[in-house]
Amino acid sequence: MKFDTPAGTNPIDQLTVVGKPTDRIDGPLKTTGTAPYAYERHDVVAGQAYGHVLGAAIAKGRITRMDMADAQAAPGVITIVTAETAGPLGKGKWNTAKLLGGPDIQHYHQAVALVVAETFEQARDAASLIKVDYQAEPGAYDLAAAREGATEAKGEPDTGAGDFHSAFAAAPVQLDATYTTPDQSHAMMEPHASIAAWNGDKLTLWTANQMIRWGVKDVAQTLNIPEENIRLISPYIGGGFGGKLFVRSDALLAALGAKAAGRPVKVALHRPLIVNNTTHRPATIQRIRIGATKDGKITAIGHESWSGDLPDGKPETAVQQTRLLYAGANRLTAMRLAVLDLPEGNAMRAPGEAPGLMALEIAMDEMAEKLGMDPIQFRILNDTQVDPEKPGRPFSQRQLIACLQQGAERFGWARRKPTPASVREGRWLVGMGVAAGFRNNLVTKSAARVRLDGQGVVTVETDMTDIGTGTYTIIAQTAAETMGVPLDKVVVRLGDSRFPVSCGSGGQWGANNATAGVYAACMTLRQAVAQKLGFNATEPRFADGQVSSGGHAVPLALAAKDGEMAAEDGIEYADLHKRYQQSTFAGHFVEVGVDAATGEVRLRRMLAVCAAGRILNPKSARSQVIGAMTMGAGAALMEELAVDKRRGFFVNHDLAGYEVPAHADIPHQEVIFLDEVDPISSPMKAKGVGELGICGVGAAVANAIYNATGVRVRDYPITLDKLLDHLPEIA
Amino acid sequence: MQHRRTIRFLLGNELRELTDLDPTLTVLDWLRGAERRLGTKEGCAEGDCGACTVVVGRLVDGVVRYEAINACIRFLATLDGCQLLTVEHLKRPDGTLHPVQQAMVDCHGSQCGFCTPGFVMSLYALYRAEVASPGGVPDEQRIDDALAGNLCRCTGYAPIVAAAQQLRDRTTDHIDEALPTVTRALAALADDAVVETGRDGRRFLAPATVDQLADLVLANPEATIVSGATDVGLWVTKHQKVLPTVIYTGRVAGLARITNRGDALELGAGVTFTAAKAALGGLHPDLDELLRRVGAEQVRNAGTIGGNIANGSPIGDTPPALIALGASLTLRRGTQRRTLPLQDYFLAYGKQDRQSGEFVESVTVPKLGQGDLFAAYKISKRFDQDISALCACFLVTLGDDGLITRARLAYGGMAGTPKRAAAAEAALLGRPWDATAARDAKAALAQDFTPLSDWRASAAYRLAVAGNLLLKFQAESAPGAPATRVLVQRAQAFKAGCDIASRGVCNA
Repeated sequence: MKFDTPAGTNPIDQLTVVGKPTDRIDGPLKTTGTAPYAYERHDVVAGQAYGHVLGAAIAKGRITRMDMADAQAAPGVITIVTAETAGPLGKGKWNTAKLLGGPDIQHYHQAVALVVAETFEQARDAASLIKVDYQAEPGAYDLAAAREGATEAKGEPDTGAGDFHSAFAAAPVQLDATYTTPDQSHAMMEPHASIAAWNGDKLTLWTANQMIRWGVKDVAQTLNIPEENIRLISPYIGGGFGGKLFVRSDALLAALGAKAAGRPVKVALHRPLIVNNTTHRPATIQRIRIGATKDGKITAIGHESWSGDLPDGKPETAVQQTRLLYAGANRLTAMRLAVLDLPEGNAMRAPGEAPGLMALEIAMDEMAEKLGMDPIQFRILNDTQVDPEKPGRPFSQRQLIACLQQGAERFGWARRKPTPASVREGRWLVGMGVAAGFRNNLVTKSAARVRLDGQGVVTVETDMTDIGTGTYTIIAQTAAETMGVPLDKVVVRLGDSRFPVSCGSGGQWGANNATAGVYAACMTLRQAVAQKLGFNATEPRFADGQVSSGGHAVPLALAAKDGEMAAEDGIEYADLHKRYQQSTFAGHFVEVGVDAATGEVRLRRMLAVCAAGRILNPKSARSQVIGAMTMGAGAALMEELAVDKRRGFFVNHDLAGYEVPAHADIPHQEVIFLDEVDPISSPMKAKGVGELGICGVGAAVANAIYNATGVRVRDYPITLDKLLDHLPEIA
Repeated sequence: MQHRRTIRFLLGNELRELTDLDPTLTVLDWLRGAERRLGTKEGCAEGDCGACTVVVGRLVDGVVRYEAINACIRFLATLDGCQLLTVEHLKRPDGTLHPVQQAMVDCHGSQCGFCTPGFVMSLYALYRAEVASPGGVPDEQRIDDALAGNLCRCTGYAPIVAAAQQLRDRTTDHIDEALPTVTRALAALADDAVVETGRDGRRFLAPATVDQLADLVLANPEATIVSGATDVGLWVTKHQKVLPTVIYTGRVAGLARITNRGDALELGAGVTFTAAKAALGGLHPDLDELLRRVGAEQVRNAGTIGGNIANGSPIGDTPPALIALGASLTLRRGTQRRTLPLQDYFLAYGKQDRQSGEFVESVTVPKLGQGDLFAAYKISKRFDQDISALCACFLVTLGDDGLITRARLAYGGMAGTPKRAAAAEAALLGRPWDATAARDAKAALAQDFTPLSDWRASAAYRLAVAGNLLLKFQAESAPGAPATRVLVQRAQAFKAGCDIASRGVCNA
């Protein structure tokens, strides 16, 4: 189905199933512990051996010698895979560093060997017996130090409009401030894991992967085998947040280990290996300059960001939102990329916007204060309904003002005291903060197959994944709505490369595109069914398990009485996304208390008001937003990978050291979705929502802390040591 | 000494008898590896994430007490005489979901699902212990405590709290129905034998009496003495240490006893944090709060006061409080006992005054008296389930004239051991307890401590906060002092949060 004109009225608009707060259909499996994750697939193939990954002990340099004798002689050892034994390997498109290192080492904990043994303990024990000699080389591990040498990244030119420099210099009110965000880890609950089995030259991988199609391609390129010889299966994924967008060393090494062992091999990355072996959100240094007239109109806005990655890596696109969020005739955005020899930087939930808004939305708060304006009023004054770099492109929908205004009313913003450090409750300094949330809505083609059987059961198959987002449920709702059957007549099968290629899960594009693809396939099936049942003249109605037109109604199941009917189709987008800017918006509101004696910050209330197109399932959407707000609170207050700048690795590489919010860190949270349908986005009229919640919330926390204390911290996370010296004297 | 070489426990209602066990085989590895019971997940293998939470029932004074623990760092052999319940046991025989599971479905408490079985078991432990029939419902604080040891990266927690709030009007479930049988079965499993298992020359020994324990420690001075294994478990799962001999204290009768000695409480070394919280919390509310923030519920149910002391960590949560209170430690070697002030037990980083063949038997904690002012503070980056950046516990005694007659200022995280601040204490003696005295004591701390910088806190921060906590203590103990505590603030926030009807996402 080609989507080239805005959606008119269609079967989804009935909203008999779509738009309802349906419980997730995989809930019973998950609460009983019976949803099978990759590492648990003992049932799929017999004779699985265990692989254990050994990570490099240096960040940069070469292996000069590997002594495997003790490991090979250890009990239970079947084989050991290294770069030397594996033979020539290609590199997948999506990885910057090789998944199997050696003799050259590109980063700390880069996999250098896989020991395969009869038991997990034997494999792990033998891995500890491998003696590796390294010739370490000096590397660059400090972003601040490497900043000067940073260069423009390939494909990421500076953007702008007007003459930023002159306009900024001439602006009556100016802000020029620099902010930093640290390296962060996805810290999803399920460690990366894969089981590999070869049947001749055909490889099956049961793995935890968000993007099945990308995974197949990367495995094919790395192993130098045809894509059609690879099957990836990933129906249940214990969280990803971008950390499982690409196949990782567990998948490659399981495949290599299974080949070498001549039997299936399973590999999980143990928790302390994950942080340095896989990817992370890179740290940024961001300089923001805003110039405005005295009455608060932005005349110049500039955002520059520095980040680091391995050679040939990519920048963290932290300036993305600044191209679109506020008006202003004179603009500049620029990204500079430094070469760092830390582990690979890559996408984590809302790459670009998440760290970018952490900086921009503090800057907006600072600027509002300079202007003596309410920070909400300042944002409203500088709203834009068109792409400010290309004013011919309107936003398809943009309700940022409504988000902020409704949020202000709901949160009791009027009670906020603009003067910082002026509200006390006992020793608690109390403050409120606001920030705009913004995340682009990305459209990408997505296909599905829909089958109808003689019992009227509709089965949907697509290689789409559910990483906890609720995909199973919203796809079932889409199919039920379109085919006119109850939810319990829909079966959804996901995460298998034998199914039609979907958009996959990432960039908050999954819900809108995957359901649009399922809708397209259902519409094709409807045509076939109508024809089969003899509804040739008119477009019949599909509802209540019946197909009807005029006074004539036939059970849907009848169409498949002589055999299953199936249709495969997908959604493909023409140029609406080029003609219109599609984005999602939020107003984030936070109240904090800060202990005047210790600088401890406690969140008290959080509210997000979101405008994100049609909400397909308010229950799962709300949970997505709340979860993202929680991750954003972590980013604001505690999440930071500590860099060892001498040895080049992340020190706190486990869940004891890399702290994510625990239960009681998170207070009352509320989410409100504005009524919105966006016919420009897809036939679903929906947009992404899974990342919007993290976008801006960190700055709202920072701004609330400022309002509470008068201490402006521009370096995340806002730990108590950064506040303490500047707090007012306690009585 | 009679040795029994079979480990016996109930998996659900089913008796398991195991021999030749690896002494440090974890409950989680056994469940997932040997039993292929895959509902219990491994997220970290070090007791941080709670995805492996199971519920263990053990017979205490004839009643089965059920507690959530982390299976990833609990050694299987320690389950001797217990009942083990996993997520697979909750579904009813007719296949319908347990109310706890149903509540999680209803409230959207599961997303990616990997943490879910752990949350389900923590909720089950809460439901079992605290939801009375009919109408009982745990309060918000209790729910927070019960869930703090389970990390979730998807839901943002609110839907899980909503699920907990939905657990009311408890009805008898199939696990309740089996309770009389289980109680009899566990009673039948209890005996006075030393339980022994092991393989490849490594041994696990679980004595049943203190005398057996004394004999075994004397005979095996190199053995690792294990109680909750909330630290030792990590030596195994994370540092791959091979422990040749493990002596487990959890079966020892009387070691978990709490004795009221009038002006003091005597806590056996085997008293868990959970049990200590109830007892010590009665001495001062800050002790209740401090113990509430030791690890999380799973850790508090397993870890012990004796282990926390004997381990010798500079950032153990209880030693600063016990030192401030003037606790004394009783060590036993064979039949010999000696008692020393707790502060003298900690010699240097990694070094304690424990002789070969000796073990910590009990700690005696004086109660607060007339004129005593006390406070305990734990400062950590994350509020719950975190290691202290520093811990400060203060006891100041005022004479009838209002002057300070005694000052015991004990800190964790400021030196290689838990340590008193001698110079700061000296700065207080003989003076009225006012802001000036507190400021002088704060200034004196620089003579007492040269703390380290690490990623939990910088040296400068530690020193500044150590002093500020003295100011805070003074401000709080002044007459008419305002409420300043996080605990209080949270409670107020929940009450005040009415304009944001928050956590009830059930009816979205």
